[in-house]
Amino acid sequence: MNSFATALGRVAAVVAVSLALVAAPVSAQNGTVTGSVTDATSNAGLQSVQVYLVGTGLGTLTNASGRFLILNVPAGSYTIRAERLGYGTQEMQIEVAAGGTVQQNFSLDSEALGLDEIVVTGTAGAARRREIGNTIGQVDVANVVEPPQSVDDLLQGRVSGMTVTPTSGNAGGGAKIRLRGNVSVAQSNQPIIYVDGVRIRSDAFHKNVPPTGYPGRSGNDVASPLNNINPADIERIEVIKGAAATTLYGTEAAAGVIQIFTKRGHRGAAQWTASVEQGFQNMRPFGVDPALRPSFEDAESSAGGTADYMFINPWLKNAWQQRYSLSVGGGGEDLQYFVSGSWEDDEGVLPNDLQKTATIRGNFTFSPAENLQIQWNTSFTNDEFFNTAAGNNAHGLTLNVYRREANYFGNEDKENLDLLLNQEIVTQIDHLITGGTATYTPFSNFTNRLSVGYDLANQENRNLRPFGFVRAPDGILADGRSEFETVTVDYVGTYSFGLTDNINSSLSFGGQSVTSEILQTVAYGEDFPGPGAPTVTTAGTTLGFETRERVVNAGFFVQDVFDISDKYFLTAGFRIDGNSAFGQDFGLQFYPKLSASWVVSDEDFWSGASQLKLRAAWGQSGRAPGAFDAVQTYDGVGWGGAPAFYPRVLGNALLGPERTAEWEFGFDGSFLADRLSLEATYYNQKTTDALFNVRQTPSSGFIDINGGNSQLENVGEIKNSGIEFTVNAAVLQGDDWAWDLGASVSTNSSEVGLPAEVPEFSVGGNGWIIDGESVPVIRGEKVMNPDAIADPIIEDDQIYGPNLPTRIVGLFTTVSLPKGLRLSARGEYQGGHYVTAAVANSAVSRSVIWAGCYEAYAIAGAAPITPAAPNYNQLTALQRARCDSGETDSNFWAEKADFFKIRQLALQAPIPESWIPGATGASVTVSGSNIFRWTNDEWTHFDPEMGTNSDNNPISRDGVSTGDFLVTSISEHIPAPATWTLAFRVVF
Amino acid sequence: MNYQSKRSGVRSNLTRIMTFGLVVGLGACDTDVVNPGPIAADFLDDPAAQAAIANGAGRAAADALNWIAYTTAAVAREVHPSGSTGSFGITPKQQEGLLEFDEIGTHWSNAHRARFLAADGIERIMALDPGDQDQENLAQLYLWAGYNSRLMGETFCNAVIDGGAAQDSDVHLQEALTYFGQAEALGSGDVVTASIAAQASIHAFLGDWTEAVSLAGMIPADFSYAMPYYDLGDDTQANRIYVAGKALPYKAHSQIFTWIEQYNPETGGVADNDPRVSWLVSGENGDAASSCCGVIEWNPQTKYEDDNAPIELSSYEEMQLILAENEIVNNGDYDAGMAIVNSLRTAAGVAAETSAANGDATGFTADEALGYFLREHAIEQWLEGRRLPALRRWNDAGVDLESLLQPLEQVGDGDTSTGSHLSTRDFCIPISEAEVDTNPNIGG
Repeated sequence: MNSFATALGRVAAVVAVSLALVAAPVSAQNGTVTGSVTDATSNAGLQSVQVYLVGTGLGTLTNASGRFLILNVPAGSYTIRAERLGYGTQEMQIEVAAGGTVQQNFSLDSEALGLDEIVVTGTAGAARRREIGNTIGQVDVANVVEPPQSVDDLLQGRVSGMTVTPTSGNAGGGAKIRLRGNVSVAQSNQPIIYVDGVRIRSDAFHKNVPPTGYPGRSGNDVASPLNNINPADIERIEVIKGAAATTLYGTEAAAGVIQIFTKRGHRGAAQWTASVEQGFQNMRPFGVDPALRPSFEDAESSAGGTADYMFINPWLKNAWQQRYSLSVGGGGEDLQYFVSGSWEDDEGVLPNDLQKTATIRGNFTFSPAENLQIQWNTSFTNDEFFNTAAGNNAHGLTLNVYRREANYFGNEDKENLDLLLNQEIVTQIDHLITGGTATYTPFSNFTNRLSVGYDLANQENRNLRPFGFVRAPDGILADGRSEFETVTVDYVGTYSFGLTDNINSSLSFGGQSVTSEILQTVAYGEDFPGPGAPTVTTAGTTLGFETRERVVNAGFFVQDVFDISDKYFLTAGFRIDGNSAFGQDFGLQFYPKLSASWVVSDEDFWSGASQLKLRAAWGQSGRAPGAFDAVQTYDGVGWGGAPAFYPRVLGNALLGPERTAEWEFGFDGSFLADRLSLEATYYNQKTTDALFNVRQTPSSGFIDINGGNSQLENVGEIKNSGIEFTVNAAVLQGDDWAWDLGASVSTNSSEVGLPAEVPEFSVGGNGWIIDGESVPVIRGEKVMNPDAIADPIIEDDQIYGPNLPTRIVGLFTTVSLPKGLRLSARGEYQGGHYVTAAVANSAVSRSVIWAGCYEAYAIAGAAPITPAAPNYNQLTALQRARCDSGETDSNFWAEKADFFKIRQLALQAPIPESWIPGATGASVTVSGSNIFRWTNDEWTHFDPEMGTNSDNNPISRDGVSTGDFLVTSISEHIPAPATWTLAFRVVF
Repeated sequence: MNYQSKRSGVRSNLTRIMTFGLVVGLGACDTDVVNPGPIAADFLDDPAAQAAIANGAGRAAADALNWIAYTTAAVAREVHPSGSTGSFGITPKQQEGLLEFDEIGTHWSNAHRARFLAADGIERIMALDPGDQDQENLAQLYLWAGYNSRLMGETFCNAVIDGGAAQDSDVHLQEALTYFGQAEALGSGDVVTASIAAQASIHAFLGDWTEAVSLAGMIPADFSYAMPYYDLGDDTQANRIYVAGKALPYKAHSQIFTWIEQYNPETGGVADNDPRVSWLVSGENGDAASSCCGVIEWNPQTKYEDDNAPIELSSYEEMQLILAENEIVNNGDYDAGMAIVNSLRTAAGVAAETSAANGDATGFTADEALGYFLREHAIEQWLEGRRLPALRRWNDAGVDLESLLQPLEQVGDGDTSTGSHLSTRDFCIPISEAEVDTNPNIGG
């Protein structure tokens, strides 16, 4: 509560300061400019259009209906300009009389391609879209109808080639993001993240789990730094997907780059935006159809649970979600500001789950001189969340509910299992992101941009099983503090000059340094003297843990863009990188790039309003090894209080980065007067010197404390290829209504190249890295006669299929209706992959009466099943393999995982401004997300997007993981729930 | 401006810019970082590292014994699972008496880590100046190395050294004899006595009875040398058999369905008629259902009563068993053998066994004596990781175990009507799957 009060106080202070800043005297001698901005095609009002009087600092943003109002305009002649991402800019001349009102409407043409839009990510400084040879995914938040719950939510299903996978329904959990598959099997595949040019941590925060003992006494999910960005503050997100585009980011960018651009102030009077969101989450069925229950099994557990929720429904709640935000933006010609604050309080569906988040942001743009602009953006987030113990965890609620009477209580009575809720798992994250960019243009053809950024996240993980806790009566407390710090210094200079009349050259050069540091200390205590609120100090046994890790990556680059007649563009460049994690025998790394684009529609032979750009790009990027991977080291592990050495890392002085080379080609086109836009890309990437955890022969004995004996070596290859195709169509258009329909299709085919001398290896969850197979592939024992009424014929080392989806289809539609109503829907299909329900095997092997075996029980006439069951001989081989406790194996629960989900459905309606005094615009939006799931016939239960204890984080509690993060398999979690939200938004 | 001067200007600007860029770039490329925490391998060559080297080898040997004693106890029916399977527990296959090569990777790796740390440590210490060598540490290191090699020789089906070919497991036993010989030569006190006792046990295992008897006779009464375990709030240094069987977190093991339950029945809630194989009647069920039998009673062993309970490695009692076995098996002097067995029983406070023929401690038949001896061997070395190797040795020697062992020692789930499982049971730990996959001399 204190943290909330503090955060709210901060928000109030910012708002008060902002009010003081923006207050301006009103003059009766001034006039007013008002009007509306509409889409030229659909006539629908356009919100978030920046309308301003050029050279005056007067302006505003349009409201949800597309209307705008500029007050206090001194009498005179002006050029008024309307700008919005995705639309062509329009200017008009107006004459404002003293005390008069000018009505000026705009009808903007959408630019499906936006060839002259400026994009930043992956370029040296900035570039027009027409110049760029690679594809760039973009999410324009102004087009998002529903209020996004998080950045994960904002990205999910909106960028072709990207998967955003929520691995549990826990409060505070972050998603696993992949672009064009896995480019590494040893290092993180999470794209790197920039916010307004500031590099922030991209891998998940630390899991809230005690530092010793079983590493799953936790909610078993991890938070994502990405979700510390308030989605309401975001203007747009740019995504570049592979090495063909990420060369200039060097040795860390092979998995792609996500750059978030937050809102900036506009020229003109302060515009306030307030929004209130109320909603709830509820769990949709994810278990087994209760109708399959054999007659001799009760329909309900003693706690009242049913099979469609795997008996956990008595503990699930309809979780109230509330969010309040307030922002103000405005400014003059030389200074613009955007200040915002938000607070949210979101219950989770599990009993203890709750997340409270407060954010504040201040974005400022100064122009102290004509050739100098300084932007400084700062945000602070206080995120606190409470979790219920879940996952594969004997002290967790979910495991003990799912295992019914064969759980760790021997019964499923609610009052007994409720005792598990006394574990307190509280995570608090304070996250500061601040940074500035100075752009200095001493000559019209020479631009310098210097950016500095500082990302600091402090995390406290408090995990208490109090004295008297049912599974640890003497009590256990762990309190961990982690500090994640990233410092970015980035300089880019661009010098443009003409080579000939038709050929211009833009030479860019620069250097970048990214220093990441992680400090972690954890205090651990157990055996408390009695009840009460403990600290670690009061425990009978105390332990301390500390880790420190610093990684420096630095490099410089040179790039030249040759512009021929503004139609043909050729870009060539390179980056040279050093990294503190490279082996001692490894030098600097050289990453080249080459790309070209051709704006075909600018050719003389092209006629009509349609546009077409052909593009191709090739480039290299990398992924660095971990901080400690290159050097042979030992751990100080202690033995009964005395010092002792254990092996840690075998070491490899030749260790270097893995190198991903990618080429892609495709086109961007808009046709039929921009009513149809198409984007198609083929990509083909190959990671060489891939870092593989090469298993060493155990008998050599260099085995770490966790039993690991692999050593990173640059020995493998990983190939990814596929297509990405996006189509958007204005299907129907009327005077005050329209129907837009879009679809995206992406495929991914991956393949491992493993030298003959390197043995194939497991990456957990039945996932394997095997020569010629996908990354990773599900392999293991398989029933070769699944449908036969016979004993299973089981063969080892059988390939099931890829673990990552190989085909993704996104469908999205928006219907604009009279009176400003907008209805939008977004769905996503993923398929071609296999996921293991390890949760089922863990239960069946313990003779749990498992709902996933209901059909087998009904046939066998007994539950659980042993060969002594009355009708055992009527079971299929697969049923015997899965449901006979003496036969079962997690491999047998590997299932085809094709699914379709409605990610989001939303209806937005404007509220008449007259209803709200002083408002210049208002809207109400009703939305639902994750409200429908279809799974293929083979899929038995749970959700194919669920994960295990260690998903989404390449770094385990004890150090570098051998790759569990790479595989999606299902442990004792709940899936992401459905969310229903009612949002009111008012603009003053 | 003419073309020449324009070109010159561009060149000049480019030169300045590139120079600036180079300075920025080189400045940005200082990536020299030293991270604290991990210890560079060179550090172990410092004379001050000797104690930590010996301790590391000792902890590794303790880890190896901890896992092997735990799993082989279940396979040899010294305990019965009452819940957890898989990562913390006895897998369904192991409950059937099978030691599958994909389920014993941890056991294999732990033992090889201990072997490597000991051998590497000895090499590092021997490379020091003689004046810097800590003889006490070195002797202790040899002792840990010996015990670990004995463990490997007794429980592993094959010896594989440093990625080499599979060899007879006796290679480890010969290696152990060398290590123990060094420990005996360099050490003092208990280290020397333990070395002698351990050599006796190895000679017995190898069938060198003359050596075995000679050395066993040198061990004084009450001698015991044990592997320490620790209660540090960290289960990894705790006695695994105790942790796996205790109430929290798991209640995973029970004496139900074991012959111990029959031999040492409950009296007033505690079965301690023979204190060497005591167990508790808890009145509770195991933490989770087991694959064989569903939810079963949780009646845990109480030989180990805490996380820091040591596991005995060598003892006077073990030496007496060697002497007894020699009398019964080699000398055919059943009464002499039984006299030793009964002396152990009397010392433990339980009644001596008598012959069927005479009703006293004379006139034992061969089967009587061998049967009592085998049982006594199980009692004395209960839960010490020695039962499965002993069964292996006797099975290899052609002892009729199905006639002589207690019936519940022969089955997996307490159902004696299904007959003995000894014919399908594994008696040693195979080469691990990871070794097979990675060792080109094996199959990788």
